[in-house]
Amino acid sequence: MVTKTEETELNQLENQVENGGGGVWEYLCLVRKLKVRRSELVLKHGLSILNDPGKRSSLGPDEWTLYEQVAIAAMDCQSLGAAQNCIKVLQKKFPESKRVGKLEALLLEAKGMWEEAEKAYSILLEDNPLDQVIHKRKVAMAKAQGKPSLAIEHLNKYLEVFMADHDAWRELAEIYVSLQMYKQAAFCYEELILSQPTLPLYHLAYAEVLYTIGGQENLIAARKYYASTIDLTGGKSTRALFGICLCGSAIAQLSKGRNKEDKDMAAPELQSLAATALEKEYKQKAPAKLNLLSSALRSLKL
Amino acid sequence: MAEDLVLDTAIRDWVLIPLSVVMVLIGILRYFVSKLMRSSPSPDAKIVKEGQVIIRARNLKAGANFIPLRSFRTRRLYFSNEENGLLHVPKGQGTNPQAQMFSDPNMAMDMMKKNLSMIIPQTLTFAWVNFFFSGFVAAKIPFPLTQRFRSMLQNGIDLSTVDVSYVSSRSWYFLNLFGLRGLFSLILGDENAIDDTQRMMQMGGFGFDASKSLGAEKDGLDIIQHDWALPRFEQRAESVLRKLVK
Repeated sequence: MVTKTEETELNQLENQVENGGGGVWEYLCLVRKLKVRRSELVLKHGLSILNDPGKRSSLGPDEWTLYEQVAIAAMDCQSLGAAQNCIKVLQKKFPESKRVGKLEALLLEAKGMWEEAEKAYSILLEDNPLDQVIHKRKVAMAKAQGKPSLAIEHLNKYLEVFMADHDAWRELAEIYVSLQMYKQAAFCYEELILSQPTLPLYHLAYAEVLYTIGGQENLIAARKYYASTIDLTGGKSTRALFGICLCGSAIAQLSKGRNKEDKDMAAPELQSLAATALEKEYKQKAPAKLNLLSSALRSLKL
Repeated sequence: MAEDLVLDTAIRDWVLIPLSVVMVLIGILRYFVSKLMRSSPSPDAKIVKEGQVIIRARNLKAGANFIPLRSFRTRRLYFSNEENGLLHVPKGQGTNPQAQMFSDPNMAMDMMKKNLSMIIPQTLTFAWVNFFFSGFVAAKIPFPLTQRFRSMLQNGIDLSTVDVSYVSSRSWYFLNLFGLRGLFSLILGDENAIDDTQRMMQMGGFGFDASKSLGAEKDGLDIIQHDWALPRFEQRAESVLRKLVK
């Protein structure tokens, strides 16, 4: 995760670079370090450095890292000619290199030649069966080809070995949600919450999956997780506020006629407070829609 | 004797400073040599998996109170199940790091290389110091010491009446040996600041003793009492919203 200071620094450098000031090399290094995806800018400015032989030689050995970065950015922007050129230069300098081999396979993938890319990745995997990047590329290919079940299979195999990789868990959860396999998605989100319990994003996602699965117990749990999201974000998450109101009304509907047990003991006023907070926020940010909100909330309370 | 000896400044110029410079240079040389000789480690799939299992088990321990009871129990069972739980190591099978080291030629080569690159420069430098720089007082330590240190610090000096604070160049060598780590981390970048002291400490417990850590994690998991924290969160959310709405 990128911290706030790093984010401000990145934005500052970006503005500087876009408006013609210097600092292009620092910007590219920061992008590389933080692993953010700014492919257009990287491509534009990276190419401007690489095409200028004076600036290029001043980089020294970092020149090759820049070639790699620009190649990947070019593939992201689908300018495959530029990518091909960069890779050719790297191939000349480092023949028989696994890192360049990865780039070549990536280029095949970008061109859409799936079988060749698959073959290339398998060869690379034979040399190094524990390369995380290549495994992830295979998953990405399966996803790009529109075969989510294949992607799930690859991801599960990957996670059997590398089970502490929370990015992989997140990807798996999103694929499950897209396939409406909510129970499995809930499991993945639980893994994510375990690894980073203070990140409200995961609580919110878990709550939404629980709400979608439905059922009394899940709704109660969902409400609790929406509450924890509110707590972790200081009340700023509109989605969580809505979630609480919806959960409350869904629970009330389910238990109509049944005895109202202790489910409201923990926080009886949560729902009304959430509604008030929502109204306040809408008044501030979108006053035109306030009427809509009020009528929706009123219909929920039935 | 309590009187102060006046040491020749030539000692400082020709002993202390050259000795430090030589040790720094040897350290840098050793760093580059080790970089050249370093064979890329080919991690074993089993070891990687065990490492990751441990991380996941630790996460489970740390975040146990954030997930519902049923999920926690399922996961705990998955880990510590008697038949095929991930953390369960049957008694006879725990990989013995010693045996593994001797049977795995790669690891043995690695250890030998590391040891050699440490021992040889040390021995050579020590011999050089003894040969050239012995038999005179090299420096004065600013704080007083007891008589017990005499044999250690004043090895070349055969006068028993000299104050223990006056030490020979051998002790300057040892001082440099332990003290240059900070300098190396400045020059060579933080990752390569391991010097001899750390390597010596590492020599004691080598190998990733997986079976013990797995067993430890399993015990840790078994002790945990699950206390679902989410209801408390509901109350906290309530108070947060109350403050927000005021």
